[in-house]
Amino acid sequence: MPRIQDIGTFNEVRESGMAKLVPPVPRIGIGMGTCGRGNGAEGVYHGFAEAIDRTGAEVVLANLGCFGCCSEEPIVNIRVPGRPLILLHQVQADDCKRILTDITTGKLTPDRVYCKIEEWDHITTHIRYGPGYPEIPHWHEVPFFKGQKKIVLRNCGFINPDDIEEYIAVGGYQALYKVLIDNRPEMVIEQIKASKLRGRGGAGYLTGNKWEFMARAKAEQKYVICNADEGDPGAYMNRNEIESDPHSLLEGMIIGGYVMGATQGIVYVRAEYPLAVHRLTRAVEQAREYGMLGQDILGRGFSFDIQIVEGAGAFVCGEETALIASLEGYAGRPRPRPPFPAQKGLWGMPTNINNVETWYNVAPIVMKGPAWFTETGSPKSAGTKVFSLVGKVHSTGLVELPLGTPLKTLVYDIGEGGVNGRSIKAVQSGGPSGGCIPQEMFDTPVDYESLAQLGAIMGSGGMVVMDEDNCMVDVSRFFLEFTHSESCGKCVPCRVGLNKALRILNAFTEGNATSQHLEVLDELGRMIRDCSLCGLGQSAPNPVLTTMRHFRHEFEDHILAHRCRAGVCQELALSPCENSCPLHMNIPRFLQLYKEGRLEEAFESVIMDNPLPASTGRVCQHPCDNRCRRQSIDEAVNMRDVHRFIADSVLLSDKYEDAVARIVARRMEPTGRKIAIAGAGPTGLTCAFYMAMLGHSVTIIESQPAPGGMLRYALPEYRLPKTVLDREIGLIEKLGVQFAYNQRVGFDVPLNELDDNYDAVFIAIGTWKESWLYLAGTELKGVYPALNFLEMVAKGESVKLGKRVAVIGGGNAAIDSARTAMRMGAEVNIIYRRERKDMPAIEEETEAARQEGARFSFLAAPHRIIGGPDGSVKAIEVVKTRLGEYDSSGRRKPVLTDEIQRFDCDAVVLAVGEVLDLDFARASGLQIKESGTIDYDRFSLETSRPRFYAGGDAISGASNVSNAMGYGKKAARIMDERLMGVQRWHDVFPSFEYDRTVPHETSQCRRHAGHHIPVSIRMRAADSIFPEVVDGLTPLEATEEANRCLRCDVKTVGAH
Amino acid sequence: MTQKKLSVRIDGELVNATEGQSILQVARAAGKYIPTLCYLEGLSSVGACRLCIVEVSGSGRLLPACTTPVQDGMSVTTNSPKLARYRRITLELLFAERNHTCSVCVSNGNCELQAMAKTLGVTSIRYPHNFPKLPVDLSHTRYVLDHNRCILCTRCVRVCAEVEGAHVWAVTARGIQSKIVSDLNQQWGEASNCTSCGKCVQACPTGALAEKGFAVEEMTKRSDHISMIAGRKGVHA
Amino acid sequence: MKKIKLATVWLDGCAGCHMSLLDIDAGILTVAQKADIVYGPLVDAQEFPDEVDVTLVEGAVSSQEDLHKIQKIRQCTRTLVSLGDCAVTGNVPAMRNTIPVPKLLQRIYVEGVQENKSVPVDRVPPLLKQARPLRDYVKVDLHVPGCPPSAQAILAVVSDLLDGRNPEANAKLKFG
Repeated sequence: MPRIQDIGTFNEVRESGMAKLVPPVPRIGIGMGTCGRGNGAEGVYHGFAEAIDRTGAEVVLANLGCFGCCSEEPIVNIRVPGRPLILLHQVQADDCKRILTDITTGKLTPDRVYCKIEEWDHITTHIRYGPGYPEIPHWHEVPFFKGQKKIVLRNCGFINPDDIEEYIAVGGYQALYKVLIDNRPEMVIEQIKASKLRGRGGAGYLTGNKWEFMARAKAEQKYVICNADEGDPGAYMNRNEIESDPHSLLEGMIIGGYVMGATQGIVYVRAEYPLAVHRLTRAVEQAREYGMLGQDILGRGFSFDIQIVEGAGAFVCGEETALIASLEGYAGRPRPRPPFPAQKGLWGMPTNINNVETWYNVAPIVMKGPAWFTETGSPKSAGTKVFSLVGKVHSTGLVELPLGTPLKTLVYDIGEGGVNGRSIKAVQSGGPSGGCIPQEMFDTPVDYESLAQLGAIMGSGGMVVMDEDNCMVDVSRFFLEFTHSESCGKCVPCRVGLNKALRILNAFTEGNATSQHLEVLDELGRMIRDCSLCGLGQSAPNPVLTTMRHFRHEFEDHILAHRCRAGVCQELALSPCENSCPLHMNIPRFLQLYKEGRLEEAFESVIMDNPLPASTGRVCQHPCDNRCRRQSIDEAVNMRDVHRFIADSVLLSDKYEDAVARIVARRMEPTGRKIAIAGAGPTGLTCAFYMAMLGHSVTIIESQPAPGGMLRYALPEYRLPKTVLDREIGLIEKLGVQFAYNQRVGFDVPLNELDDNYDAVFIAIGTWKESWLYLAGTELKGVYPALNFLEMVAKGESVKLGKRVAVIGGGNAAIDSARTAMRMGAEVNIIYRRERKDMPAIEEETEAARQEGARFSFLAAPHRIIGGPDGSVKAIEVVKTRLGEYDSSGRRKPVLTDEIQRFDCDAVVLAVGEVLDLDFARASGLQIKESGTIDYDRFSLETSRPRFYAGGDAISGASNVSNAMGYGKKAARIMDERLMGVQRWHDVFPSFEYDRTVPHETSQCRRHAGHHIPVSIRMRAADSIFPEVVDGLTPLEATEEANRCLRCDVKTVGAH
Repeated sequence: MTQKKLSVRIDGELVNATEGQSILQVARAAGKYIPTLCYLEGLSSVGACRLCIVEVSGSGRLLPACTTPVQDGMSVTTNSPKLARYRRITLELLFAERNHTCSVCVSNGNCELQAMAKTLGVTSIRYPHNFPKLPVDLSHTRYVLDHNRCILCTRCVRVCAEVEGAHVWAVTARGIQSKIVSDLNQQWGEASNCTSCGKCVQACPTGALAEKGFAVEEMTKRSDHISMIAGRKGVHA
Repeated sequence: MKKIKLATVWLDGCAGCHMSLLDIDAGILTVAQKADIVYGPLVDAQEFPDEVDVTLVEGAVSSQEDLHKIQKIRQCTRTLVSLGDCAVTGNVPAMRNTIPVPKLLQRIYVEGVQENKSVPVDRVPPLLKQARPLRDYVKVDLHVPGCPPSAQAILAVVSDLLDGRNPEANAKLKFG
């Protein structure tokens, strides 16, 4: 092909490119970016090549760039003439044959179909592929692409990046031609200025101003440079852009060179991007060959050439003055500005440096005009930005969004939320130079100003999503370690300051930090930010400063509680399961002891960590499951059921007396200190157990006639048989704990009296008050608050339900009420305002309710309860809801619609949340928080009244058994330490010798679950006692579960 | 060509300046004190030690006085509680970086770093010391290089390149690992470019570069001579 | 007026700071009027008292024993003063920090001597990995650098503390 010197040849090339792009036969295009290749795209390409060879099918095979959705790679696009472009996802080499057969027989391969594209706006041209396949979703209907607007990525995944003709076919180099023909460089600069395009490298300086500055500089030689030294961890948009569409970059640079008076362009690209370098080199060669580079470009007399320089792998070379130093052959160290590169840059000559993505925006602006460009984006930040969405998010990849789009759209709509439903904690925007944005602030529009306000930056567009498994201290340490090792060492704040900050952060993660370190780190961070020479140092403290601002409690946890909640900092966590357990049970230990056949010791390990093991073994919310590393192989170890098995084997057998005797024998010498505990629920019982073990004399004051609190009165018999509970509480009684029943603290027993008679008081009362809905009809007969209902049933009182019961709510109380009502012979309809996946109830319980015949009405909120003439419930009306914006819990907010539905019913159970009845506390002078819970110190649990401590639901609001018990345990440790003035806590616990090496092999078995008794049998109530629904594991299953543990608690690999 | 006359305000005082002068030059000429370590009159400015940061009205950022040219109407603040705090941190960082044992140093009592600590009131270091293991280069017949005392101000690098024209010194590695090297990372005694002129020694603000044969407290430096020589026309290589 | 309880402590240092303290000459009379020296190398007391108002500590924290001592002293002292460069920065004792302890002991007690080539283990407190300044282990209220700090500087600081003033002696203080 000769050099293009006139419009005729240009159009010929365009035709020829179009013939390749939309040939008269089917074309199969394979996404061959680095991410595609990483997922096997080369195998797919060869698979198709072979299959085409063998069958002789008339199909064109093409090598394409990447369409952006990395988690769906390899992506293959298929075009049959006249029909839409079909995208297949996760294609593997062995799929090729049948896909090819399907194409030739005019079918689709349903299990691989992702979406279709009927027409595509390349900005510089528009391609219509044709209509069809109504059953396949349009590309913009796929969540990942919804809301995306592809300007920068306009050609990515459509054209062959190695073929300039295909680029010209989609309107490429037209903008250049136009600029050269118009011959009015100043007009182009005006256009760029009017477009409000801002540098996409991070700082967001107005590109047009930068160009104008450079254009005005007088010199014999000027340079334009593309900064493709993309080095942020988690950012790879530039790589993908170059790999998929290198000519857009070249065109932008040639236009820039022309209007700014430069004759030489340089692309400074990361050497770590071999494919990008390769494709770019090929593109430059082709551009020269076709007359887009070199002398007399497009026959218009302008001369310009581009050189590719591979970077030497230093992050700091992304800073423009360091980049210039590197180009000149010096070590990449920045120098102070002024002088700015536009005055004195490369070799002392005026130089313009722009980021890859900035250059990609040039041709579209030239072709469509600034007004078109500013239509997209926010007033101060026009256009789009490509983000790399990575980390703990369901869908990852490159996302191009209009600037100003709220962060939650990116994370929840496009990224579809956390992996495996885990909750997302924060997003790190802008990589190591950026800051973290906490989940509560996901409303923030993503543009330069808004992010800067939060202490974060847009940066090059890396968005690293972090969930509850990420320790924010460790995250900031990670980023600081990166910038620390990438600091050039020239200026003191960055060279030494980052080193010191890193050492301080290391002290945090090792548990050696003190509160003073927080202040020192904060001041040092500000100093580094304000005093460093270049952008690297100035932005390096951002991750630390923002995490300290938004996640200060995590830093405090590391210092004051010696805890890393995420379980990342090794010194501060035993294993992920132990760390997730509110009681911090040493789970690997009891699994190992049981595995070694030492049941009694396993029991001792369990009960010393958790004084109500049989109850929690049945009803715990088991947060440990979510954190078990075995999940990465198959499913979590069923820790709760093994723990139940161990507890049942001893507590419910003839081993009970011996075991109890052994525990009682461990009790410490009497201390003479007297402790009062308000409430005999799980929190109070746990605290009582440990305080008694520590030798204190304990009295529990309980308003009910029997101990257990919610365990006895809120949890139905079929989940937790009361005989089991009684055995457990029996042990606590044997330790000498006194119980005073039927007495309410604050009413029957005034707080002042407790103050006078006891050395410490622990308030552990429950949330027994139903937070009443403001709903018409709640006064009717047959409307019950859930806890009242459950309590009445537990006490054997008669409750008139009728045939049909509506239960309102989605928590455990709702499910418990529903299943209880069904056991009383009612038909149940559970009304919940969100969807099933949003229900806070334990999933197994919800599923069991469904199996037992409960109906669910999701997306419905109660409107009013309708009564009959006799004043009893007749029906309930609900308003249908739809899910709107994401709220701070990461779930969508239900929004009321106009649609009303009516369900006939005889009773309504309200289970919309429980609160604390705190009249007593108000009278007593304990401070109450706005949330309606007792105010307390997060680390000491002390209330506003000295020697009065609080825990459980009283401070957290309605929660669950294990959380409640966790508070009881913590309170006991703190109160003992304060009463005795020494740390005796660890002396109470037995130590065990057991195998602490990594197991040679773990069981290959899948997870064993407890056995559900068939619905037909379980619903048969004998004497109105509901039989337990779930049977425990068999001994063999329990052993196998214990064998499935990977032993994350083993820190050093033992010698084998 | 006559250079444009400007007027700037330094700590509220109106002073005359010439276009192209740095804030530091103007301030010093007006008798204002701005602390510096990497700056040496006569050598190029690199803005590395960040002690000379000042506040300039209208700019949200702190700017190094040594490399920032004055502009007409500029208003500069050379000291404030924040600047003082930051400068102290900078010094503490330098002390904590390497092994500065003043009491056994040849330059004890004649050291710019030590004097600066006294001037700025640094009496202790809040950051953990690194205590790195660093070599002492005794290979040169007349001079000694002790990396333990080096603060990487690069005055030696610049005086050698800009005044002597020998280009013996350079900085190798990066970040906290940065180190001064002679020629191609050879022992100083084997650096064939070295003319043994001793300008680097005189330019060095601490005891890192010293003449042999001096005991504790005995090494005095004459960096003013360097400025004087460098100030002569035609000296710059 | 109740006399202030003053203690001095000698950790890993050369006693130079204590010498400098003695150099305050007649100033000691003023100090003695206002304070009792309740503990230190200059007095007889064996046990560090439970409540001390001002403790001047010379030397770096080098051994297990130093560490125990300084923690106890911190608990029992209202105002803790690092006296001299060793206590403030580690100074000379810290010059060993780049050498691993076993190698250091080997060099000194085995390679460095002609007779009795053995590393002492009995009745000597084990060395910590590094000799470090006080503030790396405990909160320090005031730093008086110098090797040693001059007698005038010490006297100025001590007088201020005894008179309940905040010592504004910074300008007189320097490292080395």
